[in-house]
Amino acid sequence: MPELFIELFSEEIPAKLQIDARQRIKELLEERFKKKEIKFESSASFSTPKRLVFVIDGISEKIEEKQKILKGPKVGSPQVALDGFIKSNNLNKSHIYNKKIDKGDFYFAKTKAQVIDVSKELELIIPEVLKSYSWKKSMKWANYELNWGRPLKSIVVIFNNKKINFNFYHLKNNDSIYIDETSELKPKKVNNFNSYLKIIESQNIVLDHTKRKKIILDKMEKICNKKNLIKNFNKNLMEEVVNLVERPNIIVGEFDETYLKIPEEILIITMQKHQKYFPLFDVKNKLTNLFLLVANLPDKSGYIKKGNQRVVEARLSDAKFFWEKNKNQSLVKQVSKLKTLSFFNQLGTFYEKTQRLRKLSNLISEQLFLSKEKVEISSSICKADLVSDLVGEYPELQGIMGKYFAQEQGFEDDVSDAISDHYLPAGVDSEVPKKKLGSAVALLDKIDTLVGFFGINEKPTSSKDPFALRRTAIGILRIIMENKLTIKLKDLIGYSIVLYKEQNIKLTNVSTAQDILIFLKERFKNLLKDRKIRNDIIEAASSSNTENDFLELYKKCLIINKSILNDSYKSIVASYKRASNIIDQELKIQSVKIIGLPEPILFKKEEEKNLFEKINEIRKYFSSVKKEEIYTDTLNMLSGAKNATDNFFDNVIVNDENPDIKKNRLELLQMFCKTYNNFIDLSKIEGV
Amino acid sequence: MPKKESLKKKNVKPTPVNFQETILNLQKFWGNYGCVILQPYDMEVGAGTFHPATTLRSLGPKPWKAAYVQPSRRPTDGRYGKNPNRLQHYYQFQVIIKPSPDEIKKVFLKSLSVIGINHKEHDIRFVEDDWESPTLGAAGLGWEVWCDGMEITQFTYFQQMTGIECKPVSVELTYGLERICMFTQGKNNVFDLEWNNDGIKYRDIFYQAEKEYSAYNFEFANSEYLLKNFKIAEAECKALLKKKISLPAYDQCLKASHIFNLLDARGIIGVAQRTEYISRIRELAKGSGQCWLESQK
Repeated sequence: MPELFIELFSEEIPAKLQIDARQRIKELLEERFKKKEIKFESSASFSTPKRLVFVIDGISEKIEEKQKILKGPKVGSPQVALDGFIKSNNLNKSHIYNKKIDKGDFYFAKTKAQVIDVSKELELIIPEVLKSYSWKKSMKWANYELNWGRPLKSIVVIFNNKKINFNFYHLKNNDSIYIDETSELKPKKVNNFNSYLKIIESQNIVLDHTKRKKIILDKMEKICNKKNLIKNFNKNLMEEVVNLVERPNIIVGEFDETYLKIPEEILIITMQKHQKYFPLFDVKNKLTNLFLLVANLPDKSGYIKKGNQRVVEARLSDAKFFWEKNKNQSLVKQVSKLKTLSFFNQLGTFYEKTQRLRKLSNLISEQLFLSKEKVEISSSICKADLVSDLVGEYPELQGIMGKYFAQEQGFEDDVSDAISDHYLPAGVDSEVPKKKLGSAVALLDKIDTLVGFFGINEKPTSSKDPFALRRTAIGILRIIMENKLTIKLKDLIGYSIVLYKEQNIKLTNVSTAQDILIFLKERFKNLLKDRKIRNDIIEAASSSNTENDFLELYKKCLIINKSILNDSYKSIVASYKRASNIIDQELKIQSVKIIGLPEPILFKKEEEKNLFEKINEIRKYFSSVKKEEIYTDTLNMLSGAKNATDNFFDNVIVNDENPDIKKNRLELLQMFCKTYNNFIDLSKIEGV
Repeated sequence: MPKKESLKKKNVKPTPVNFQETILNLQKFWGNYGCVILQPYDMEVGAGTFHPATTLRSLGPKPWKAAYVQPSRRPTDGRYGKNPNRLQHYYQFQVIIKPSPDEIKKVFLKSLSVIGINHKEHDIRFVEDDWESPTLGAAGLGWEVWCDGMEITQFTYFQQMTGIECKPVSVELTYGLERICMFTQGKNNVFDLEWNNDGIKYRDIFYQAEKEYSAYNFEFANSEYLLKNFKIAEAECKALLKKKISLPAYDQCLKASHIFNLLDARGIIGVAQRTEYISRIRELAKGSGQCWLESQK
C-alpha cells in the first residue's frame, strides 16, 4: 500500500519547538486524513534540529465516494445561501433541483458516485496542514511571507514513490534532499522513506529521536559503569540534548579538581544550564570533576574535548573568583546595599522589605515558639545575597548562595538554611522549608509580598499574574498545611500593613487584609481539590468558625472527607437533610419565622423531649470544645443522636392539627439544624 | 581515511591568526561577498548593533550589505584588567545583510575558515538564543553559535528594530573577536592574545585602559554631570526629531544610552529606575527609527 513521506528541512529548530512541531503536525495530518475519509495503517514522525519527517503508511490510493443526496436551503432563501451550498459541496448549478418535503420546498442536489485520486487530494491537504500549524514562537526571514520556527529551506513530499506537486509560499515541493546546507554534497533524489533513510544513515545521521536518545543513554551508562559513577541524568537536559544533535557523540570531559571547592550548585548550573553538559556524581552522590558532553560529530583530532574543557574552566575560574570575593563579605554589612535594589516601584527597596520582615519577626516567633533573635537575624539577611556578584551571574542561585555565605561566616545551621529555604516552595513540585525557622521567614516574606501588591491594587486577574502572587499564596498555605503550623494570619497581615505605613509606603487599597484572606481561601479550596477532597466538604467546612486558621480547616476537611461516607456517620447528614427538608417545605407553603427556639411546655411526645435533650447535650459539647475540637469526637457526638432523631421522625408527625404544636416541632427541627451547623454547614453537603 | 594522511595533517600545525589579521581576513571575506566595509562608528556604543549602519539601515525595504568592526563599551563589565575573560571595552565584528540570503549559514561557516576555524573539525552548534534589546526596541530570533562549547558568534534574524517591524528581514552576525582569538590562539587570558606577529600583545595595548576605565566607570565618573548630560542628550534628541533630522538625533540617543550604562556602573540606578531609563532611551530610538524611515521615502 502506498506511503506518504514528508521531509521539512530547515535551519536549526530549537528543541522545544521541534518536539511540538513533530507531534502536532503529525496529528494535524491524521485529523485531515480522517476528515477526508482517507484510510491509512500507520503514522510516525521523527526529527533532528534540521529535519521534521512524517511518514504515513498503508494509504489507500483512491477514495470511493458514493452517490449522496444533499439537502440545501429553502426555496426562496437569499441567493447567498444557495451559492454557499453549491460552493461548500463542490457542486454544479446543474446538480440542483427542487423538492417538496414536509417543511416546504427545498433545494436538493445529487452528487455523482466518484473515485478520487488520493494524490490529487494530497496536493491540497499537505499545504493546508502546514499552514494550519501554529508555532509557539515563529519568525520571518528574507522577504518571504512564511512564518516558521526557523528558516524553512526545502519541502520534500512523496506519495506512492511519486512527487506531489504543490507550492507552499515561496517554496516548491521537491524530491531531492539536502544532507545539510553546508556540505558540498549535491541534493539527492529520494523515492520513499526507505531510500531516504539509506541516504541519511550513510551520513551517520540518526533520524529517529528515540533511537538517538537510546544511543546517547547507552553510551553514557556504559561510561558511568566503567568509572563507577551514578547513572542519573537530568531528564529535561536529556530531552533537549537529544534534539540538539543529528550525529550524537559522547565525550568525557574534566576540569581541574580545585574547582570542586566552590559550592557545587554553581558547578552544576554552569555545566547543565550554560554548557549543556551532564555533571557526573560518584556513588556517594558527590560531584566529581568529570562531565559528559554530547557533540554533533566525532572528535577526530581531540579539538572538541579540549575546547569544551577550556570553556568550562574559564567559566569556573570566573565563578571561583567571585566566590572567593563574595564569601567573606559580611552578610550583615551587605544588607545596607539592598537600599539600591528596588523591590517594586511603589513598594520601596529590598532594604525596606527586610526591615519590615525583621519587625514582623516578633509576632511570628511568638506564634511558632521560636527564638525571636533567630527569626530577626534570618529575616534581616535573607536577601543580602542579591547584591553579590555570584547571584548577579547566577540569578537562579538566590538564597542558595546566601546560605553558603552564612555558613562560611559562622551562622548557625538553621539560620543558613532559612536563607535558602525562605524562597520555598518554588513551584508545584518544590518542597516546603524543612525547618521551622525557614518556614517562619518564608511565611513573613510571602505575607509581606502579598500585602504590598494587594495594597497597591496589583492583584492577579484570571489571565495575568505577573508577580506570581498565586504561587506566593499557595506557598503560604502549603507551608502551613504540610508543616502543620498554627498561624494567626489575620494578625500578621494586619501588622504587615501597619509596617508599610510606618515606612510611608502608601497602600491605597482599603480592604487589603480582607482581599488577601479571600484570595487565600480560594487558593485553599483549589489546593484541597487537588488533594481529592470533595468540593462540597470544603464549602461546608470553610463556612464554619475555623476561619483563617487554615491548618484547622485542613484537618477538619481531611477527617470529614474520610468519614462522612462511613456507615456510622452517614446518619448525620441524613438526619440533617430530613429535618431541613421538612422546614424548607413548610417555608414554601407559608412565610413563618422559624428561629430554632422551641418551647418545652408544648412538647407532647416523649420523642420530642428526648430529641430536645440530646440537642442540648450537643450544644453543651460545642461550647466546651470551642478551642480544641477533636473532630472524631464531634462526629461521634453528632452520630450519637441517631436514635433520638430516628425515633422522632418515626413517631412524631410534625404536621399536627394544632398550629402551635406544629410550629413548635418545626422550631425543634430548626434548633437541631442550627446546632449541627456548628460543626460544618451541612446544608452544603451533597448526596446521601 | 588512510592513516598516513591523518598523521600528516596533525603534524602541520597552522599558525594561529593574530588579532589584527582576524579583523582583516573577515573584512576581506565579507568585502568579497559584496558587503560595504565600513569603519567603526565614532561614538561610544554598547554593541555593534547600535551602529546606525545596522540599527537604521535594517529598517525599510532597501537592500543593504555591510560589515565593520565596532569597539563595544560595557562599563559594568570592567574588572580593572584582573579578570582573564572580561573587559569593559572589546571588539565585535558585525555583518548586516538585508534581505537575509538563503545561503547565509553556509557563507558564515565558510567565513570561519579564514580566521582559523575549520567547521569540519569542530563541534559547531546553533544554540537557540532569542535576542532582545529593550533599549533599541529590537527583537530577533536566531542562535548563539558555539564552537566546541564556546559562544563565538551571535546569529540573528531581526524581526523588529526601534519598534518597527523589519520587512524584509535582515540577518546580523556578530563575531566576538577576543573570544574567537582566544580560541584560535589557545590563550586562557585575553591579555595574552597576539595582536600582530611582531610581539605586540593585547595587554600592551589595552591593559592600562582597562584599569583606568574601570576606575572611571565604577568610582570617578561624576554622576551629577552624567545625570545632567543624560537629560541634555534626551532633550537634544527630541528637539532634533521635531526638526526631522534623524541621524544627529540618533547620535543623541546613543549618547544617552552610553551615559545610562555609566550611571548603571556607578550603581546609582535602582532596578525600578532602570526600567524607566531604558524606556526613555527606547523612546528616543523609536523616534529616530521612525524619522529615518520617513526620510527614506
